[in-house]
Amino acid sequence: MAEHDFDTTIKVAIYQITADTGSIPNAAEVADATGSSESDIVAAFERLHANRLLVPEPGDPTRIRMAPPFSGIATAFPVEARGRRYYANCVWDAYGVAAALRADAVIPARDGHTGEPLTLEVRNNAPVLQPYVAHFAVPAAQWWDDIVFT
Amino acid sequence: MLLFRSEENVNRWCEARGLPRRPLVSLDQLWQMSVIWYGNRLTVESRRPAAGEIASVFSSLGLTDPFWDPKADRWG
Repeated sequence: MAEHDFDTTIKVAIYQITADTGSIPNAAEVADATGSSESDIVAAFERLHANRLLVPEPGDPTRIRMAPPFSGIATAFPVEARGRRYYANCVWDAYGVAAALRADAVIPARDGHTGEPLTLEVRNNAPVLQPYVAHFAVPAAQWWDDIVFT
Repeated sequence: MLLFRSEENVNRWCEARGLPRRPLVSLDQLWQMSVIWYGNRLTVESRRPAAGEIASVFSSLGLTDPFWDPKADRWG
């Protein structure tokens, strides 16, 4: 199997497990799911990171912090969909979880300044529009300089 | 990126941190961005838009400010 195909297999496995469980799998879990060695999975994680497709947990290459739009840790951007709670990396990614799952979703967000609860919803593959706004603090050219901050 | 109830709250957030106010994105624009970036993320065919495509994607959504120009994207 070519390296490209292996990485694609691993990427799809990561996302499928995340969609099915609500949690991003670690290297051992992906190895079990794909019949691969954990060291091969860690190497694939590194290549997928180099291609900007995921972000490993700092200091632990066997775990994933971000498989955009999903977050590997609890964040201020939960997404309720398919009867599960997922976590997104930001408000864009919160909508992204609903788009990736192609599912209705409720997103209990908060105003970035006041902390006031602001609920977003997706129904029938479309957002329930509100007069809210998103603000990106970092220009597009710099998004990946510090993707966790972005 | 963060969500705000109003433009006024964005201004207050920026003032409190000494950060510049950037272009605002409506929920409709944000949803369209999400579908373009993530709509096929669970499939074998998924990929993020290439650097050369991103400017036209943003432009198609009405996001034309230089803020959205990814040409300095060093990893693209």
